[in-house]
Amino acid sequence: MEDNTITARTYGRHIVQVPSDVSFCAGCNACEIVCTLAHDGVVGPCYNRIFMEKGTHSMVTVIHSCQHCSDHPCYEACARKDHAMCLDENGVVYINEENCIGCKRCIKACVFDPPRINYVKSTDKSKRKAKKCDLCRTRPEGPACVQYCQVSCLSLSDK
Amino acid sequence: MDKLYGYVGKIARINLTDGTVSIIPTSNYVPKYIGGRSVCNKIFWDEVKPGTNAFDPENKVIYMTGPTTATGIPTGGRTVFTSISPNSLPEQYAWSGIGGWFGAEMKFAGFDGFILEGKAAEPTYLYIEDGEIKFLSARNLWGKLVHATQRRLEEIHGQDVKSIVIGPAGENLMRNASVTTSNDNVAAKAGLGAVFGSKNLKAITVRGTGTVVPADINKVLELRKKMSHPPMIQRPIIQETHHGVPGAQSEVSGGWQRAQVACSYGCNQHCMCLMLDMKSAFKEEKVNHVEKCVSIFAFGFSQDVPYGGPGGVGGVFQTEQNHYPACKMLSREVDPPDTSDPYFELEFAPGPGDILDFWKHDFDKGNVINDLCNEYGIDKWDVIIWLLPWLSMGKKEGVFADIDFGMEIDVESEKFVRYLIDMIVYRKGYYGNLLAEGMARAIRVLGKEKFGDTIYHGRYSRMIDKQLDLPISLETAWGHSVHWQGRGFEASIAKPAWVATNLHQMTATRDTQTIQHHHDTFENYLQLKDDPCRSVLTARGVIMGEHKAEMKDSVTCCDWQSPDLFWTDMEAQMFTAATGIPMSEEEMNLAAERSRNLFRAIIIRNYERTRELEVNAIFPIMQYPDPWGETVTWDEWNDLVDLYYAERGWDKETGWPTRETYDRMGLKEVADEMELNGKMPLIKK
Repeated sequence: MEDNTITARTYGRHIVQVPSDVSFCAGCNACEIVCTLAHDGVVGPCYNRIFMEKGTHSMVTVIHSCQHCSDHPCYEACARKDHAMCLDENGVVYINEENCIGCKRCIKACVFDPPRINYVKSTDKSKRKAKKCDLCRTRPEGPACVQYCQVSCLSLSDK
Repeated sequence: MDKLYGYVGKIARINLTDGTVSIIPTSNYVPKYIGGRSVCNKIFWDEVKPGTNAFDPENKVIYMTGPTTATGIPTGGRTVFTSISPNSLPEQYAWSGIGGWFGAEMKFAGFDGFILEGKAAEPTYLYIEDGEIKFLSARNLWGKLVHATQRRLEEIHGQDVKSIVIGPAGENLMRNASVTTSNDNVAAKAGLGAVFGSKNLKAITVRGTGTVVPADINKVLELRKKMSHPPMIQRPIIQETHHGVPGAQSEVSGGWQRAQVACSYGCNQHCMCLMLDMKSAFKEEKVNHVEKCVSIFAFGFSQDVPYGGPGGVGGVFQTEQNHYPACKMLSREVDPPDTSDPYFELEFAPGPGDILDFWKHDFDKGNVINDLCNEYGIDKWDVIIWLLPWLSMGKKEGVFADIDFGMEIDVESEKFVRYLIDMIVYRKGYYGNLLAEGMARAIRVLGKEKFGDTIYHGRYSRMIDKQLDLPISLETAWGHSVHWQGRGFEASIAKPAWVATNLHQMTATRDTQTIQHHHDTFENYLQLKDDPCRSVLTARGVIMGEHKAEMKDSVTCCDWQSPDLFWTDMEAQMFTAATGIPMSEEEMNLAAERSRNLFRAIIIRNYERTRELEVNAIFPIMQYPDPWGETVTWDEWNDLVDLYYAERGWDKETGWPTRETYDRMGLKEVADEMELNGKMPLIKK
């Protein structure tokens, strides 16, 4: 659940789940899948940059995504700021994984619960990297999760 | 093999008797056996010999994902179990598909599947995480309902785990007990939940942080687009005023809310109906539950579901303009029919369903029945389509006059339904114990002539304005009840469709649906409709459907997506996208035929299957008229069986594949063993 104490924060453009009376999330995982395929060429929960919280019993699914906080605490916490965690001209925080050392400071700095930054739990320590939504900033079609959502329950916020 | 795209490379052999695990390379089986059911068939053939019973420790539960599982290829999240079915009569090797998220998580944990062997000394569950398999005590889980078990496992191991569990029905060896995973996805057919119970296995919980790599990502994304029809439409929660399917709807006081949800990881169909805030059997608060096709009948069962058409062909025989699998209509996901189709009127002309008068509509009672089945872990079909109609019809015909269940039989009563199902699940008293053995066995103990074959006089066909015979037991064959066979008590479909469906079931070991709904083209229908039993097109249509079913359970994909009669190499494309191994439509068909014939060899070798057994098992149900008064004669049926066996390359007298047939699909070693066992047809000179 999200922490109510952070409601005063301001966010940049980010992926939003539309209300269920507009379109009910079918819980198909397409958003997670196309995200990892587009970014990493694999499918796997540790590579997700968008997160589904499935109600095993309620069968209602909630989507958690990076809100692209205007004060970007994850970026500020990065041990290799501007090399690993970077900020582009549109205010999007993205990760240059070549330079990420997997220290997890960004994850600890994320103000949301669950954190919106993922972490590859590879036994090969050199492959341990943080993974974070970058709004598919280099993808001409825009965010893959929005493009491939089967029920159009995802969109980009207007901010 | 250097790299297996689409697979993760390992199958776990899990011995519950001694608590050991060993690893088998998946490449021992693939790509000759594609994955899913075809690999299960090969493992069972190699490892389980004749004489093994369902509840013996020597019986094995084989579970396999397919090459598409967790690759992002739509509907690939469905997976398959095989084992000896305790619910089949006689017990036989059978299969059951399951959706949910468990299969994908298994792959993320590093396994393409597992083989469960032996029997644990005490209630046990398995915890699998990233290649490690732990045997843990299930003493504190034993006895818990399905959702309570899932919840407890999430409390112990974290919200991210995916579990398959059995409920009290499986623990108490109720022969039609199911295995359940998230969102009430179940492996229900065949009663494999009871096999879990016999092994003292309550659950398997898995968590994985690994990855699955498809060979061709662009192709995966292309398939996500192409297979997603209708594309990109929003699906809000909808307020409904009625419940049921067109032609058999009832008003719901106060209405209800529905949404559409996906059944499995990566699914693009989201065809399952989620009913929000329904009455629970166990709690004061309302619960959500997923409605699949059988649930519909729990709410009210006073008339048959009409599929219309000149013969009620709608949804079975399809044109390119209107090629929606029949049961997809239940999800209300399809576009409106294309009325410009020249065969539109023939396909969709409405026809009235039979009056049955089993029980009137009761929304709350229907929800309670569904919740009871979900929480106890029971195959709903047996309860809703067989047990309750049997009690309804038998009561009205007076056959239960001397039976004392401890409460008066009244299927209209929620109190009675709760009492009845509780009695069976916990094997209370003589009748609870008897009915837990499954309907087929119970009816034989009670006396089939009276308790199975008594004619119910309450069925009335509005198609021909006539009362029609219907036995009080809806048994079809192999210990399973009629399932969408067009016989006028659960969906009217015409003779050309139901003879095909019965042929499917004749060579199976369980109810063949839903993974094997019959489909064919309307062009074929026009040629075979007047004499379906003497048309080779019927046999070829059934063989096509059987091969598509093998593909669906092997690649894997789902019956709502496949077969697509107008995109016939779809499954081959899915396989190639996942694995990078080129696969043509012809090669895929051969792989499916190989799997089918291996299954055939198993049931001949292990269960003495012959033509005589098959024809005698399926013929009786077709002697009861469909809503148009149609039946098949002995000669008609045997002519069709001849055509089918000949097209299959099976001997007409025995029903056994010939050596030439085995050899053609690379099963020489199977042919050799069959010959040694005296199961090879003699060559006539």
